[in-house]
Amino acid sequence: MEFLQQLVFALVLGSSYALIAIGLTMVYGILKILHVAHAGIYTLGAYVGLLVVTHLTHNFWVALIAGMVASGLAGVLIYRGVYYYILRRSRIVPLIVSIGIFAAMNEFYRLVFGPYQHAFPAKLAFPMVITPYFVITPKQLLIIALTAVFLLVLYFVFNRTKVGLAWQACSQDLAMAGAVGVPVDRAVALNFLLGSALAGAAGILMAFYRNEVYPTMGNVVAYKAFVVVVLGGFGSIRGSVIAGLLLALVETFLGSLEWFEFPRDAIAFLLLIFVLMFRPKGLFGRL
Amino acid sequence: MRRLMIGLLLFAFIGGLALAGETVKIGFFSPLTGFAAADGHAALIGAQIAVDFINAAGGIGGKPVELVYYDDACRADQASAIARKLIEQDQVVIAVSGSYSTPTRAAAKIFQEAGVPMISAYAIHPSIIETGHLIFRVGMGAPVEGVAGAHLAVEILGAKRIAVLTMDNDFGVSLSEYFVKTAKELGAEIVFEKKFPLGEREFRAMLAQVKLKNPDLIWATGYYGEAASIVSQARELGIEATILGQEGYDSPKFIELAGEAAEGVIIVTDLNRDSDREIVQKFLAEYEKRAGHPADMVAASAFDAVKVAAYAIAVAGTDAEAIAKAINDIRHMYDVVTGPFYAFLGREAIRPVEVQIVREGAFRSFHTFTEPEIIIPPEL
Repeated sequence: MEFLQQLVFALVLGSSYALIAIGLTMVYGILKILHVAHAGIYTLGAYVGLLVVTHLTHNFWVALIAGMVASGLAGVLIYRGVYYYILRRSRIVPLIVSIGIFAAMNEFYRLVFGPYQHAFPAKLAFPMVITPYFVITPKQLLIIALTAVFLLVLYFVFNRTKVGLAWQACSQDLAMAGAVGVPVDRAVALNFLLGSALAGAAGILMAFYRNEVYPTMGNVVAYKAFVVVVLGGFGSIRGSVIAGLLLALVETFLGSLEWFEFPRDAIAFLLLIFVLMFRPKGLFGRL
Repeated sequence: MRRLMIGLLLFAFIGGLALAGETVKIGFFSPLTGFAAADGHAALIGAQIAVDFINAAGGIGGKPVELVYYDDACRADQASAIARKLIEQDQVVIAVSGSYSTPTRAAAKIFQEAGVPMISAYAIHPSIIETGHLIFRVGMGAPVEGVAGAHLAVEILGAKRIAVLTMDNDFGVSLSEYFVKTAKELGAEIVFEKKFPLGEREFRAMLAQVKLKNPDLIWATGYYGEAASIVSQARELGIEATILGQEGYDSPKFIELAGEAAEGVIIVTDLNRDSDREIVQKFLAEYEKRAGHPADMVAASAFDAVKVAAYAIAVAGTDAEAIAKAINDIRHMYDVVTGPFYAFLGREAIRPVEVQIVREGAFRSFHTFTEPEIIIPPEL
């Protein structure tokens, strides 16, 4: 009984890890860039959602869509405005640029919205699941259900559409894909659009779940998403999803033990070391 | 050319001296960026209000007070660099820390070595004032707050089974240390004890375990972000035990973020918003006017630290040892918000300990400790 309830908590946490890690691994799969600013996009989604909720309507769905659109566009802007020009440089250059963008975004949020935590007063009619064994609150159910929907859509786009095919080609060999007529630039932009929209959705979902939005909310997410991506294997979406759930499971169960004194956020790195010792490519890595 | 340069330098030097003579400089640092920026801004506004009140009343000996402030981003290395800058470049008479325990400890060491007095506004770690004879604190120290919390929990709220959640930094660890020790002495049983990192927002796994232990009270340390998560998630899991917090909760933001779950939460703090003393109401009104939201303990403590600094300079002039003596000699200082300060013992302000409860979305007075064995640090 206790176990099932903890499983619910882990599933919710894991969903948030998976949503943010997917975008990162998509970008890495194609451009081989460590896109740190992705966590800034996550925060952007939450703030745009907050603006909608506080100024326009309390409806959660409107906030979600607005936040996802804004995040997706911001992701494309970062690609077309910055990464596009430095793709041919050493990989350390985009990495440092990305860290710079992330820091700048955090300070931008602080200047515009203030350093304070804001509550997220969205309203949503969603059922509550009560069983003798566990309880799923409406917000938890929302996160689990939406993540499942996003994953299905993603699966469909990747495997059944031309864009998905183009992404697969680009991730195998960017130059060659271009040479055989794949519109690389558009494919990459769409890649950023979708990955960033998912990060924005994760930001809004967590803002709603925890009832707070603040400028540095992406900080922990920034490094944890990386752990998830490395764990799952760079470039593997399936790996990211499974690694996200795995990390959440380990964190939840170890974190609930009274004698386990190790900080929860460090578990990610412990798990990372453990997995990399036996599988240096990550769980599903192809590199 | 060289003569011109020398002339310019000389001019700048004399100009600098003249300027230095015109104002009394009080150094100040707080986190204006980074995760603690909200508290840093609150502290800065509190300090600026104090300076404006003092200047409106004629300054110190006719000279206006100038607040020289920097952003430490809540980092120890930045705080050290700022301390040196305030001492060497700005040549402040005294400094006030509007920052957390970790940066304050780092800066305190440098101020003590350089012979410049420093007052910690609300950083609570015991080792801050142990740095040396020039380092003071107006906020409540962890020993007093932890001990008062234990007396409140066991003697007033009648708790027998207590769960302890501790934020793993200087703030949380030092508070829980004194709380647990005293609660055990008073006969309560600690049924659950666990640490969590600063910035943690996911407490459900931990709280599910707490629920199994069925405590009648939960002592949870944390700043208002952590606190709001703990309180709302505990209520979500159906935990009905009283939740007891401390000054980290003392912000209107806690109530905003926790919403209805905040109702009935009790905190040990040093700001009594219901006080009928004029200075308290004047400060609260002025703060809300400037910041656009109600004041918290952090702002009030920074206000008081600047008041004490200004008082000491007014009494003793600019000599560090004389300032230290003037602060140590303070008796019954009523012109402060988190007071009255009965005295400074062991370089710490001794004052009544406030207990506040959240009722209908606001902090209200619940109890005031004035017993000497509670409000005087146990080491003294």
